[in-house]
Amino acid sequence: MDDQACPRCKTTKYRNPSLKLMVNVCGHALCESCVDLLFLKGSGSCPDCNVPLRRNNFRVQMFEDPMVEKEIDIRKRVLRDYNKKEEDFATLREYNDYLEEIETIVFNLTNNIDIVNTNKRIEHYKRDNREIIMKNKAKIGREEIELEEILDMEQKLEEARKADLLRMEQEAKKQKIREKEALIDELMFAEGDAKDILNTFAQNIANKQEEPLPAMPKVTQFSTGVKFSHGTAQATLPILEEGPLYRYEAPIVPDRCGPDPPSIDDIVNKGYLQHVRAENETEKAGGYSSTLPCLRALQDALAGLYHAS
Amino acid sequence: MFSTSTQRKFWTFSDENEVARLREKHNLGFISKHGAHIDEYQRYNYFLSPEEERLLLKQYELHLKEFCRRFSPPMPKGVVGTAFHYFKRFYLYNSTMDYHPKEILATCVYLACKVEEFNVSICQFVANVKGDRDKASDIILNNELLLMQQLNYHLTIHNPFRPVEGFLIDIKTRCTLAKPERLRSGIDEFLEKVFLTDACLLYAPSQIALAAVLHAASKEQENLDCYVTEMLFRDAGSDKLAILIEAVRKIRSLVKMVENPVRERVRAIEKKLDKCRNQENNPDSEIYKRRIREALDEDDMAYTGSSRMSLDTSGMTQILSPSAS
Repeated sequence: MDDQACPRCKTTKYRNPSLKLMVNVCGHALCESCVDLLFLKGSGSCPDCNVPLRRNNFRVQMFEDPMVEKEIDIRKRVLRDYNKKEEDFATLREYNDYLEEIETIVFNLTNNIDIVNTNKRIEHYKRDNREIIMKNKAKIGREEIELEEILDMEQKLEEARKADLLRMEQEAKKQKIREKEALIDELMFAEGDAKDILNTFAQNIANKQEEPLPAMPKVTQFSTGVKFSHGTAQATLPILEEGPLYRYEAPIVPDRCGPDPPSIDDIVNKGYLQHVRAENETEKAGGYSSTLPCLRALQDALAGLYHAS
Repeated sequence: MFSTSTQRKFWTFSDENEVARLREKHNLGFISKHGAHIDEYQRYNYFLSPEEERLLLKQYELHLKEFCRRFSPPMPKGVVGTAFHYFKRFYLYNSTMDYHPKEILATCVYLACKVEEFNVSICQFVANVKGDRDKASDIILNNELLLMQQLNYHLTIHNPFRPVEGFLIDIKTRCTLAKPERLRSGIDEFLEKVFLTDACLLYAPSQIALAAVLHAASKEQENLDCYVTEMLFRDAGSDKLAILIEAVRKIRSLVKMVENPVRERVRAIEKKLDKCRNQENNPDSEIYKRRIREALDEDDMAYTGSSRMSLDTSGMTQILSPSAS
């Protein structure tokens, strides 16, 4: 511990017990006061390696070796893009190769080996796998939220259980005190033999203890938050007053004043779609389909053909 | 759909005479309003005759076409078609002597850009206008509401361009015609000319589109008659087919008769128009400027005096934007 010192102002942990070392992405440590001094403007360069740094990227050094910190940083950054899961690969072999690649990249970046090419490799990967990266990011986000919810729920249950235990303990204590008082009262005022009274009381208590403890509140949930009784014991839904049921009526098609256009089924089945531009993925997501403009054009072409002046 | 549209109900007329009668009526209306003191025989020496107005409008339709062709950013066809419709409709109920076609032309195109969702700002728009741009934008913005009012707010226009696409898809699917795409140049040429005629005030857009397709086919030495009779009109009666054949024939003859007005003649008419036009609507005239000033003063009064609640709808509302002063 004594060799933990700020490389700039040479303060050590021994001389200043509140010394906090901070690291940034380059992996060179600085003490908190040096950071305050050097990065007054929010950004500056590392005194060791002249890499431009931002002040808000500084964080407390957790490991003694700043290189470890640097590696963590880099790993975090790399994993943000290399976020494929085992399911994304066909064989275990491919997945292992992929993991190996990540390790190589992290190692290279940490030890300043061939940085330019490694960065190029990452860029290339990003470009090639943009869609998968985005998808996995969203998935991870969702999983994290679910996990947090579960943790939250468990914590609440734990608190409730502790409160219950406390209450029971207190009650037991009170009960004991009451019994003692009753015994003393009995001894003071009763006529009978003190030994007998003691015996009967001891028996009473023994009997009581044999009585089953009040049942613990039943656990109704798995730790994952799924209820045991899910689906079986649903609360009865309130029955609402119902009016007459809604009945769908097809809208009245006004006179088109022309021959009937083909139906949507006809457009799909009779080959009209070969002659219109097919929709692409993005348009499909928005609910667009090439049948719609095709139908519209045909309707427009046929409507009004019978128009007589 | 065209069959339920205002275009069919209010703006598709039964024949050319009806259109001509409307135009004549508003020509006479203007003359009797502004030229009561001139006797019957002399009046056409001073005012424009209906034929002269017609010729002038034809020239301005050519200008409209040219303006849209040169417009940057390039304009979709639908905007041009819609602008033509607005221009023709406006002068069915107004005289060129009342509102100068050069001003209405730009307003029609501007409104058409908006209605057809071709997004250009007024600055971008007037960059295409020659001459004083500020004045042009004032004129356009002032006339925009007037134009909409005169169109009775019937702004949706059914153009023949989508029906053409529909016919081409249908022909490709149901007909054995080889390479239907080669019809396109003929169709485009035909539709360009159609807008120089009154066909869009007389026939349905699908009829015009079919006429264009048939015309282009005959130019390519193809015959689509059996497509029309066997496919389109198979279930319809022969009377309907007869009506369509007549309509197509008429549209094609209208297009054939398109000819450019003689330049000298138009120049003379324009000179005459400069004298006889309604000075109240001429942004360069003294009367107009004075009226704007009065309208502005009145506006100020209306704002300060809270007693005046109703909007004055007579006369003054034609000049709506204070920016024109």
